[in-house]
Amino acid sequence: MTMSNQNSDDAKLNSIRELIEGILPLDQLATLQREMKTGDRVQIVLAIEQDRVPWSDRILVPLQENLYVVERDDGARVVKCFCGHEFGDYRLNWKEEALVFERHPQDGIVFQPNKGADPVWQLLREFYCPNCATQLDVEPVPVGYPFVFNFLPDLEF
Amino acid sequence: MTMARRSLKDRLIESEELFRDTGVYESELTVKESDPVTFEVLFTRLLQTLTNAREVALSISASPSTREQGEIIFGLFTAEGDAVCLSTGLMIHVHTMSRAIKWMINNDYETKMGFREGDYFFNNDSFIGGGHPSDQMLMTPFFVDGELEGWIGGLTHVTETGAVEPGAMGSSFTSRFAEGLILPCMRIAADDELFYDFDVLVDRGVRSSISWLADNRAKLTGNLIIREKVKELLGEVGLDMYRKVCREYIEDTRRATHEKVRRSLFPGRYREVAWRGVTIKNLERLMHSPCELVVSREGRLSLSFEGLPSAQRQPFQATLPLFEGMLFNGLIQNIFYDLRYNDGTFLAIDLHVPYGSACNPDNIQLPTTLWGPAYGGMQACAQAVSRAYFAKGYREEVHASGPLTSGNLAGGKDQYGRHFGSQCFEFASSGMYATSFMDGLDTAFSDFNAEGDMGDAEIWEQQMPQVWLAREIRKDGGGFGKFRGGNGIHSLYMIPEGIEMEIGAFGSPPIFSTAGLMGGYPAAALRVWIGRGTDVQAQIEAGTPLPNTEGFDRSVPEFVDQVSAEWSCVLGQNVPTSSLEPYSLFSVVSGDGGGYGDPLLRAPIDIIRDVENGLSGVRVAADVYGVVVTKDARGNVGYDKEATDSLRAQHRRERLHRGVPAAEYKRIQRERVMAGDIPAPARAMYRDVMEISPIWADEFRTFWNLPEGFEVAE
Repeated sequence: MTMSNQNSDDAKLNSIRELIEGILPLDQLATLQREMKTGDRVQIVLAIEQDRVPWSDRILVPLQENLYVVERDDGARVVKCFCGHEFGDYRLNWKEEALVFERHPQDGIVFQPNKGADPVWQLLREFYCPNCATQLDVEPVPVGYPFVFNFLPDLEF
Repeated sequence: MTMARRSLKDRLIESEELFRDTGVYESELTVKESDPVTFEVLFTRLLQTLTNAREVALSISASPSTREQGEIIFGLFTAEGDAVCLSTGLMIHVHTMSRAIKWMINNDYETKMGFREGDYFFNNDSFIGGGHPSDQMLMTPFFVDGELEGWIGGLTHVTETGAVEPGAMGSSFTSRFAEGLILPCMRIAADDELFYDFDVLVDRGVRSSISWLADNRAKLTGNLIIREKVKELLGEVGLDMYRKVCREYIEDTRRATHEKVRRSLFPGRYREVAWRGVTIKNLERLMHSPCELVVSREGRLSLSFEGLPSAQRQPFQATLPLFEGMLFNGLIQNIFYDLRYNDGTFLAIDLHVPYGSACNPDNIQLPTTLWGPAYGGMQACAQAVSRAYFAKGYREEVHASGPLTSGNLAGGKDQYGRHFGSQCFEFASSGMYATSFMDGLDTAFSDFNAEGDMGDAEIWEQQMPQVWLAREIRKDGGGFGKFRGGNGIHSLYMIPEGIEMEIGAFGSPPIFSTAGLMGGYPAAALRVWIGRGTDVQAQIEAGTPLPNTEGFDRSVPEFVDQVSAEWSCVLGQNVPTSSLEPYSLFSVVSGDGGGYGDPLLRAPIDIIRDVENGLSGVRVAADVYGVVVTKDARGNVGYDKEATDSLRAQHRRERLHRGVPAAEYKRIQRERVMAGDIPAPARAMYRDVMEISPIWADEFRTFWNLPEGFEVAE
């Protein structure tokens, strides 16, 4: 590898790291958006994420903001929060192990009556990590709606 | 001996059977492989021709929605009706014109009507093709040596159709016959001349015919330009080459679609849901749009909407052509933006939309004006795609739901004594979704037309004489989050003297119609405020400042406090048109974008910027974002870092305190479900969906651990 290739790779790695952290300048963002999608980004992001998290379990796939599917030393594949909290087997919806709060849609804290749904029609279902209290999802749903199982990755390989 | 010419119908059947049997549209890409430069040059020339025709047509149209909002698209199709190339513009219609051409072929137009060069067929029957009666297409065949070699089509969105409510998109329709003039694939021109009696029909059939008739001329002109240029190109390359590359462009796109999916999206199963509903009296119910997207390791992409509610006598639903159009519009913008826009993408994706559902009605007499869960399906699909990008590492493509674009419609007599009827398309500049890396843009986006613009208020006032007292960025409209959704427009209209006007709006039921993603909140609910019997005339005569803003963080908008009137508010914005007296006020909002990520992770500097710009307030900064805003003696806005850290820690403690373990939450909720303690709009939806979808009913019962055969109480 030449020195210039190395610099270019480092710059790209840095861009992707800043993208993940939400601090990438927009002109560099446009460069990334215009790039051909070759499919190898997943390996780059896995390496960056592995470096960011404060634990050592191997990340198999980032599930969403703050959540990962990891493989533990005992071979179990579980959903794990950035803070280290584990939600259990990745084939089950992590929301079943979260804290849940039903918010009145016009509570005047998040939405004013002028801007929130009619509670007869919908409420806000918030899901928190039981350890770090990060808000992981907000479902605007009516009473009785099953939890939405957003993502079941195909990891059987 | 001469060979009998094969009918178009036989050719269409053969083409479809070939694809069904082989899974490919064209087995060999010989031109692409042997002469890739010519292959690309020819396509670029076709694309240039279509886009050029679009630009010419834009300047012929007399409608602001076409000319300023760019609600127009042109396409080139094979003889069998498959889209080869499309211009820029309304990407919803990649496949809807294909459907209309195929419908004519399948319904024996070739023998019963005859196809000749110079014929133009008009269609706005959305069960055949298009989205609703406003979507009006004009298609013309072209011939080489007496053989029909292809089709050209143009489509515009026309803002008046002679419906029961003016402006075509009323929220009160309970029958298709309320939607106005619906004309299924009618010949309206021969020898490139429009029929006079068709103009008469439109002129007498709608409130104001100028948009419809001028758009017909715009589309005819565009089609003519394309026909001549395509024939020029055909003359250069020869018929065999032309036919071959057209098929290769479609097949190449089909293959590229699979490859793009394989490279861009993580394999797995994704589920999202979006919401709409019916607000017509005695028919009130919620409607979900449950999207399941499956990405295979080989790059296949399958979409299922099992569990959609049933089609009923209400306008918040869509025909299958429209739903396909919405989905492909979203997929093209989110994934396939760098491929050729044609039917190859359509052929590459598996789609399941239950027959009889609100996105595939089994009765062509039902109204389908306002799309309902079809628009929601596109939003849900885009969120599912975002999750698939996220997992694959392409964070630059990840975003929350785009806005439910919505606005007002009106009709009556204007200041010149002319009849008018129209929608106001300023909602094409709604608030953009938040992404994983930045806030959504304010007043800059609509999913259905990436080139959309709000247009000049003064031009709109020529078409529908409401007077703008305010046109401002909506405050705190975009969903809160680590990155917030873009804010839409708030407009405050006054009904002037000297006109007659009925005015209404369309939008959603009183719900959050635009979801957030991964911890972000949904966009604010839409709403209309109507002020009757106001003192605005007195305020004008007294020379006092007129109301011009919602204000921010208010349970009642500022203009409501400033004007003495009989005020009413409709959450969700579905308001059938009704007459308003001069000096009445009517306030609408366009949609806002969904938020992304936990609001407590938002950078304080982004909050300060919103406060400085008057888009958000100090209370929201503290209560939603946990940021303590400060102002110095000069009025400069900043934040107290120590107090912010402390407040955010307090918010997190409160979450842990008020959050209930999911198992406990489910136990309590299950009792409600068992007892039928569910508000009526959702109850109606559950009963309906569980009846028409045993699969969804089983999932519902399994989730709540309900007895076999359990039904939600009436």
